[in-house]
Amino acid sequence: MDGHVNIDRDEKTLSVEESGSRSGKKRRRSQNQDVSASQPPTQSSRPEGESARPDALDTESAYNNSQTRDPATQGVVRRHPRGGGGGGGGGDAGARGESEGRDGHVSASTRGNVQDARRMMQPQSEWEELEEEEEELKYGAQHVIKLFIPVSLCMLVVVATVSSVRFYTQKGIYLLYTPFHETSPSFGDRFFDAVRNSLILLGVVVVLTVLLIILYKKRCYKIIHGWLLMSSLLLLFFFTIMYMQELLRGYNIGMDWITVSICVWNFGVMRMVSIHWHGPLPLQQAYLIFIASLMSLMFIKYLPEYTLWMVLAVISLWDLVAVLCPKGPLRILVETAQERNEPIFPALIYSSNFMYSTLGMANPDDDSRSQGREMAQEGTSNSGSAASGAEGTQRPRDNPQRRRNAENGHVVADDAGFTDDWRGQLDKRTRQRREQVNNFAQQNPSNVDYPQAHPRDLTAEEDDERGVKLGLGDFIFYSVLVGKASSYGDWNTTLACFIAILIGLCLTLIMLAIFKKALPALPISITFGLIFYFSTSLLVVPFTEKLASQQVYI
Amino acid sequence: MNVERLPNERKLAICRKYFMAGFALLPFMWAVNAIWFLKEAFWATPYPEQKQIRKYVIVSGIGAIVWLVGLISWVIIFQQNRSNWGATADYLSFIIPKGIP
Repeated sequence: MDGHVNIDRDEKTLSVEESGSRSGKKRRRSQNQDVSASQPPTQSSRPEGESARPDALDTESAYNNSQTRDPATQGVVRRHPRGGGGGGGGGDAGARGESEGRDGHVSASTRGNVQDARRMMQPQSEWEELEEEEEELKYGAQHVIKLFIPVSLCMLVVVATVSSVRFYTQKGIYLLYTPFHETSPSFGDRFFDAVRNSLILLGVVVVLTVLLIILYKKRCYKIIHGWLLMSSLLLLFFFTIMYMQELLRGYNIGMDWITVSICVWNFGVMRMVSIHWHGPLPLQQAYLIFIASLMSLMFIKYLPEYTLWMVLAVISLWDLVAVLCPKGPLRILVETAQERNEPIFPALIYSSNFMYSTLGMANPDDDSRSQGREMAQEGTSNSGSAASGAEGTQRPRDNPQRRRNAENGHVVADDAGFTDDWRGQLDKRTRQRREQVNNFAQQNPSNVDYPQAHPRDLTAEEDDERGVKLGLGDFIFYSVLVGKASSYGDWNTTLACFIAILIGLCLTLIMLAIFKKALPALPISITFGLIFYFSTSLLVVPFTEKLASQQVYI
Repeated sequence: MNVERLPNERKLAICRKYFMAGFALLPFMWAVNAIWFLKEAFWATPYPEQKQIRKYVIVSGIGAIVWLVGLISWVIIFQQNRSNWGATADYLSFIIPKGIP
């Protein structure tokens, strides 16, 4: 659930697992399967098996973040190609093939074109690098904004529900994984309970993540896919019904079985179709946001107070460790996926642009390569078939992290946040673009003077297909933090946490652009969020209250 | 996914699948089908499959609207007459609101 990209972005983030951990939805960068590049596809998305990784949540989010950073490699960072395209397109497309390939992609910038002209003299590698940097940073901002909106929406839904429906703040039933219920009045006891609970949950997440990795390495795709589907199905229907019930009860509206069942049936089937098969992108995004909010609400309801904060901290640490350490499970997953040039599971990654989720999980590399090549040379649209070209197709990575909150309290946390090697993808992408631009330029020598149009056409598809992907696990944990903060009724704290998380997200994306590696999405944001929450609720709020009661304005 | 990038046969296939699936009590699918392929059906450059897509879009749209009207009228009837129907209404109810109707 964390930031698996791909879309994903999709289900990567924590998905509630019925039976096991679902890979979290992390933003994963979809791996671009560059045809030309020998590099492994930029499938940053983690295989659905990731759901097995409870930790996936953290890592997923991390991955997502990192994934988004790699424009080149995965769709996440589309920036590069686009920017490059624009620049390259303009001038000597033929001459500079490579640099242009990159530039050509970015149709957006005329700047690129101008720059190309000026840079003709520069050695290609330098120029390319500069262009890349510029492109990354320039489009990084765009992607950040694109991510702000869904994250904010998710938080908004959670906060609105928590404020209006009291069910989610009533304590009483807890998950099976948190046996210590923090009932004693002393602070030390409760704190100790929280520590133990969070360690248990972490253990579950780790076990699931490792299980997922084992399954993935052994190529048990069917099992992973089936697991993902099943947990997604269970999560969807069960939680949706519960949510609707509580919402109606909260507003005291009567409803009959027929209407409710038809609505839920439609909602559920549409979601399954749009995420696991083809569906319009806004619908997919909306569903992912909704599912992330549902899961956050489950967490808020079913975890005792201190445990929740401890869990947040612990999961962020896990995310950091799992993504950045060389032996970290999520990193292994990403690298394995890259080596095999396979797309990561869709459905757990949120993607801001069109991402292609290949239908099958283990698509043969040949298909994607051949398609990619085709794309490069003809610039034709990617077919919706499984093997999308390297550029365009990014499979959402699902680092499924699923936390299942069920009445019986089974929570499985998956790790989300699977990010591919960004750099590798970047190279692939640029190479592919260059190829494209070169091909294009060769075909249209007379159009050299109007480079903008052509590279844009070539890269338009890819541009659309690249986008920023964030794992669902990231969404979920961000919303958990903000929702919990708002459940205490104080708007100052809620807003402070919200701002903190957004700042953390910005920073993470910037770091992604600088480091060009898979990075965990959770740690920075959650750290900021926690700091802001505790400092605001313990220091700022009493301070302002005192001031207001004494009518002192500063 | 960006439907514009797909080859035409594929578009037709997806449109048709959505249409067929909508018969399983899924008006939402019809609605999505109609909206998603609306641009393709009417305002894109003509291609051979467009006629069929147009047909599917129109029928899906009409089907979705009919379902919507039916559902809304059923909900209104139910809400108005719930208290009058007594025991039957209780069996039909998912949530029974508190208070005096």
